[in-house]
Amino acid sequence: MSEMPVYNLYMGCSVPANYPNYEAAMIKVAEAFDIQLEYMEGVGCCGSPNLRSIDYMAWLTVNARTLAIAEKNGHDIVTPCNGCFGSLKDVYHFLKHDANHRKQVNTILKKEGLEFKGTITPRHFVEALYTDIGITEIQKKVTKPLDGVGIAIHYGCHLLRPADVTEFKREYLNELIEATGAKVIEYPIWKQCCGATVLPVDENLGIRLARDKLKSMKENGAEFVTVVCPACGNQLDLQQLGLKESYGEEYNLPVLLYPQILGLAIGMDEEEVGLSMNRVPAAPILDHLSG
Amino acid sequence: MAETKEPAGPPVTLTEPIEMSKLDVKFREEIHSMPNGEELSACFACSTCTAACPIANIWKYKPHQLIRMILLGMRDEVLSSDEIWLCLTCFQCQERCPQKVRVTDIFFDCKNLAAEEGKIPANIIGLAKELLEKGQLYTVTADWEREDMGLEPEVPGLSVDALKNILKETRTNKIVDSGE
Amino acid sequence: MSNPVLVIGAGVAGMTAAVELADSGIKAILVERKETVGGNALDLYKAFPTDDCFYCFEGNRWRPGIRKCFYRSALIDQPNITLKMNSEIDEISGAPGQFKVKLTKGPEYIHPRKCTMCGLCLEKSKAFHLLSPQCQPQAVVFNPEKTDDGAKQAEEECPTKAINLNAQPVEETIQVSDIIIATGYHELQPINVDEYKYGKYPNIITQLELAKIIDPNSDSGGVLVRPSDGKPAKRVMMVQCVGSRDENYYPYCSKICCIFALKHASILTQERDDVRVSVVYMDIRTYERYERYYRRSRESGVEFLRGRVSLVQPREDDTLDITVYDSLLNKYLKFTVDLFVLSSALEPPEGMDKLIETLGIKSASGFVAAADPASEDEVVIGDHIYACGTALGPAEVPESVTQARAVVSKILQSRK
Repeated sequence: MSEMPVYNLYMGCSVPANYPNYEAAMIKVAEAFDIQLEYMEGVGCCGSPNLRSIDYMAWLTVNARTLAIAEKNGHDIVTPCNGCFGSLKDVYHFLKHDANHRKQVNTILKKEGLEFKGTITPRHFVEALYTDIGITEIQKKVTKPLDGVGIAIHYGCHLLRPADVTEFKREYLNELIEATGAKVIEYPIWKQCCGATVLPVDENLGIRLARDKLKSMKENGAEFVTVVCPACGNQLDLQQLGLKESYGEEYNLPVLLYPQILGLAIGMDEEEVGLSMNRVPAAPILDHLSG
Repeated sequence: MAETKEPAGPPVTLTEPIEMSKLDVKFREEIHSMPNGEELSACFACSTCTAACPIANIWKYKPHQLIRMILLGMRDEVLSSDEIWLCLTCFQCQERCPQKVRVTDIFFDCKNLAAEEGKIPANIIGLAKELLEKGQLYTVTADWEREDMGLEPEVPGLSVDALKNILKETRTNKIVDSGE
Repeated sequence: MSNPVLVIGAGVAGMTAAVELADSGIKAILVERKETVGGNALDLYKAFPTDDCFYCFEGNRWRPGIRKCFYRSALIDQPNITLKMNSEIDEISGAPGQFKVKLTKGPEYIHPRKCTMCGLCLEKSKAFHLLSPQCQPQAVVFNPEKTDDGAKQAEEECPTKAINLNAQPVEETIQVSDIIIATGYHELQPINVDEYKYGKYPNIITQLELAKIIDPNSDSGGVLVRPSDGKPAKRVMMVQCVGSRDENYYPYCSKICCIFALKHASILTQERDDVRVSVVYMDIRTYERYERYYRRSRESGVEFLRGRVSLVQPREDDTLDITVYDSLLNKYLKFTVDLFVLSSALEPPEGMDKLIETLGIKSASGFVAAADPASEDEVVIGDHIYACGTALGPAEVPESVTQARAVVSKILQSRK
């Protein structure tokens, strides 16, 4: 690689609070691939999706503000959270095409000396890995490939849709998983939501959706699950523990964040990727590492 | 809702039609002019959105019916419906729509209109309050976990004031005020 | 003017145009990419609106009877027609009225007039193949990729010396006065419409693929079977508007799919044993006389579901669980079927864009467009350039024939 890619790292609020293992694994994986991640200064929660539901202008403004700060720094944003990614990407897309709202938002941002111009792109960390590093380079660093164990991917709605906004293809994540030596397990309801967004309004429904996904993954031969979003992770991992009580079902499907899997495959140990913080014990993945 | 006076005498027919002249014909234009509402009128009622929705089976009004209701002007019914708040925002309806109606985006528009009228589920008001007061939805409580992972206990660069300041000036503040 | 007319594509439209020009004393050069004439219609077992069997019987080789067979025999018997099989247009230049057309004619391994279809070579080698007893040209075809010693033996022993395994492609340049575009359509292979899972499971097929299965000349002899294991299929679901009327794929209505599906649904329920058919639709468009297909299929027990497909899930035994949202009932219904048939959009054929660019003509949704969209002459594409049939967009057989005749009429008028 000729030049070390530099990105604005936008954490949002959920990953730092709930998934320090995701954050740490991502940063270490980035270091291993000579990607420079710089924590953004003066930014916070994206408000997704609740703020978008009740206060569209505020949602536009707060995300436009994040984008405007990144524009000042001159680097693309990467984020590990589908919610943040969806929000930033949607606002970026919308404001680029809607001059009227852009003007309104910029009037507010002007007070802070900021302006949204649309000059940098918000991106998901895994998309940056896929596009800027590439599968070939990733494979070169895989020293402890997985043994073809079946992993089901939950992509997360806001990573994939609306496709004209997110511009993310599921194949990216499939190839990233395959690059670690694992096998991608196809299951019929791969598009289905994890249920996270509906929790505040109907908790049982949210849990039911998570359960249906886990059931479908397991039935189709998955031994592990990977996610790239803290909200989806919470639904599939933490909620899985409660299914024994609510549904009388046990799935024992460890849920790993993608950088944890890649980290292990390129030779990190379980502590470096914070495996003990996963709720469903994830240590069985270690038995599938070769070399 | 105000009760309208029933006309005297038995109904003319046994069906009880919705009186179209009492619906809000402007509702369709209202949604049409909102973010991503442009394609609304392209709907040809194929019901693909409902086929795509993973949870519409438990809805009283299905996604295509809500779109239909918007087109007909059933403003009160749509904005008071539970369904717009149950929407997972998974965008599957929008993705499959053969006429590129941005169904999920339109439900966001509906929620914003409902919010403007104070029709918001209590838990969502709770989240709005959280955002207004704390400037974030999730706060670091277990900083030792961060330190265990070699991360700084406080999130580097985090600012909660920016969001708070924006929200003080906008609808969220109003919602939280009137919710209390 | 003595220059011949070039007809590109030997499907229903191209054959009609060529035969009727020839009958009017005008020379026609009919160029076809494939090794047999007939185009997509060749794969249809019966065609609406007449329900003619599109596979005419053996006897028609000598005795013109059914419309299509009549054209086919004319292709050989009519001296004004030059048929160029396996041929591709490489380049078109020159001014209108005197186009220079460069084309490559594929190797002529089998001499079409010498071959008597005696079947000797078919016994010697798998490299030889008879497309159908009614194929035109009336000759076997040879696949060089499968060549073996048996093929060489057949070449030596062929009683009419019709085989030449060393045949080479030939390039030639011809001069023509007019060009008729009759390149037809291609049926969309809906692999990208991922909710239907086409291409992932063998028992999910398109209508054209279904037509091939129920053709009496198919491997199963016309019995409705599942591609997965060749066993009889009893439960069929069809879904309409796959890739048509869809801004994500093709915005237009493909026009024939409703009638195509109803035709198949009627054949399956009336002429096959114990087959149940459900049709998932959003609108049924049986304009004009075709309404009778709709009524007839309802009478024969075809089940109509107004709604869309939610989820397709394969089962261990290769059947498919299909959940359909029924918008009239406002319920989700689950079916288990042997065959899932997609009424897929008609799209422009491969190479259409290149031809449109070469000729500098207009395009509409990828098909050829009339020079003046407001004029009544929808078949006039440019100066001395015409089009007919599905090259102009989705069309049924009678419409293609009518358009071909309109083209012939235009050319005749121009030469008066």
